[in-house]
Amino acid sequence: MASTTNCLASLARLSLSAPARPTAVSIIPKFLLPSAATPLARHASGGGGMRKKAPKKKKTYKTFRSYDLTPMEQFSLCDAMRYIRAFEVGRPPASVKYELSVKLKTGKGGPVVRNRIRLPFPVKTDVRIGVICPDGSALATEAQQLGAVAVGQESLFDSIRQGNIPFNRLICHTDSVDALKKANLGKILGPKGLMPSAKTKSLTSDLKATMQELIGADEYRERAGVVRMAVGQLGFTPQMLSDNVKSMMTHIKEDMNEIDDTHIKQLDEVVLSSTNGPGFSLNGSFSSTDPKVGPEHLQSVM
Amino acid sequence: MVGVIRRLHKLKAILGVRHGPGAAVLPQDVSRIHMEFAHLFNDGHMGPRKFWRTSLPRLKYWNPAIPMIVNRVANQEGPATLSIYFREPGVTPKGDVQQQSSSSEGFSKAPAPAEGERVVQIDMKGRHSDQILSEFMAKSGAVPVTPTAQEEMEIREAEELEMKAKIDKERVRKMVEESKREKRLIQQAQSEAAAIKAAL
Repeated sequence: MASTTNCLASLARLSLSAPARPTAVSIIPKFLLPSAATPLARHASGGGGMRKKAPKKKKTYKTFRSYDLTPMEQFSLCDAMRYIRAFEVGRPPASVKYELSVKLKTGKGGPVVRNRIRLPFPVKTDVRIGVICPDGSALATEAQQLGAVAVGQESLFDSIRQGNIPFNRLICHTDSVDALKKANLGKILGPKGLMPSAKTKSLTSDLKATMQELIGADEYRERAGVVRMAVGQLGFTPQMLSDNVKSMMTHIKEDMNEIDDTHIKQLDEVVLSSTNGPGFSLNGSFSSTDPKVGPEHLQSVM
Repeated sequence: MVGVIRRLHKLKAILGVRHGPGAAVLPQDVSRIHMEFAHLFNDGHMGPRKFWRTSLPRLKYWNPAIPMIVNRVANQEGPATLSIYFREPGVTPKGDVQQQSSSSEGFSKAPAPAEGERVVQIDMKGRHSDQILSEFMAKSGAVPVTPTAQEEMEIREAEELEMKAKIDKERVRKMVEESKREKRLIQQAQSEAAAIKAAL
């Protein structure tokens, strides 16, 4: 071991003194030597040799990138469904969903499109609602009749603190807002996205309307300029899927109109994909381009 | 969202679902197709799996109205069979024939033929997917679809793109390897230098 270290040390000294003849036993490549050992580059122009160039600043954009869609092949709904059904053949239809991605022309930051929608043909039906309202009141019995799985105020807060959360949606009646604020449940409910707030429309004075909207309603929101949501199950017929897509698009357009004019929101592209299939950019038409294949051919059992 | 050109290249997969082995139009009298095989490829279930993943999508594309049911079971020792159901000539199809949808838990057993239906079965166990396909084509009487001149050109373009991608992948792999090698050498030299310092 000592011999190698000696050897290395002498090598280092050699390279420090002057760039000598290349020795036969150079172990360390030149680019690995300490920078002090390499001769400094000096140029006749002078001055500029030592100065470091400032790193090039990356250009920042204020809007999300939108692409030129002319080269994009676009499909009618029936064509896209025909392809998707071919890609998903033999999959259990309950586990495969049609997904819609709506790309918007929009700036980064600022308000986002965010709302709840009740599709004409619901995609999932596993909503369990918890309701915060005064214990033993008429509201509580009403909520239970409407199908809430957990109703109450202090009793519900206690069960949440103990980690017993049997619901996946939580709404709060306006009478119980103060109690909710005092209960300090934000730490538990916040990360789960369950904390009632006016923003998510889960703070309400009309329990019936909100609950009916929640059952069979899905939430969507714009992330990175794209709204994504499941719009159908694989077993849906073209007409059912078309209804769902249309209702989704009208909803999003309404939401965009509500946002003030200082922030630009425009529709850019609509893409239909599925759990295992590729994405098909839609051109807005319904019927198939193949005259032999109509909507009635696209509703057989998968 | 991903850029348009990259998505377009990805979408070339639809060419693969239109043409290739299995792209065929089934005769009018085929009413449904049922496949049953196991989840894993052990014990001779590789061929059926491959047939499902490669050929069945093409069949489904060209015959969108025919139900093609796949029943995957957990039992590896079980059989792997493909059943083709034919409508007897002259029998009008009944609308109320109950057909279970595909299942990955073995719930969708091959149904008994309905009135005016006959079944032709193919034993797929331990056979290559190509063999299964050729037997399927013979027994079902399917007519293969040939790509048009335009589509042939598109397929060629996709292949060329694939070749270019191969070259680029090789180039990038070399670059990555080189930078990894340099990093490794630097680390080795630094540790050696540290050892020298410690020895002094």
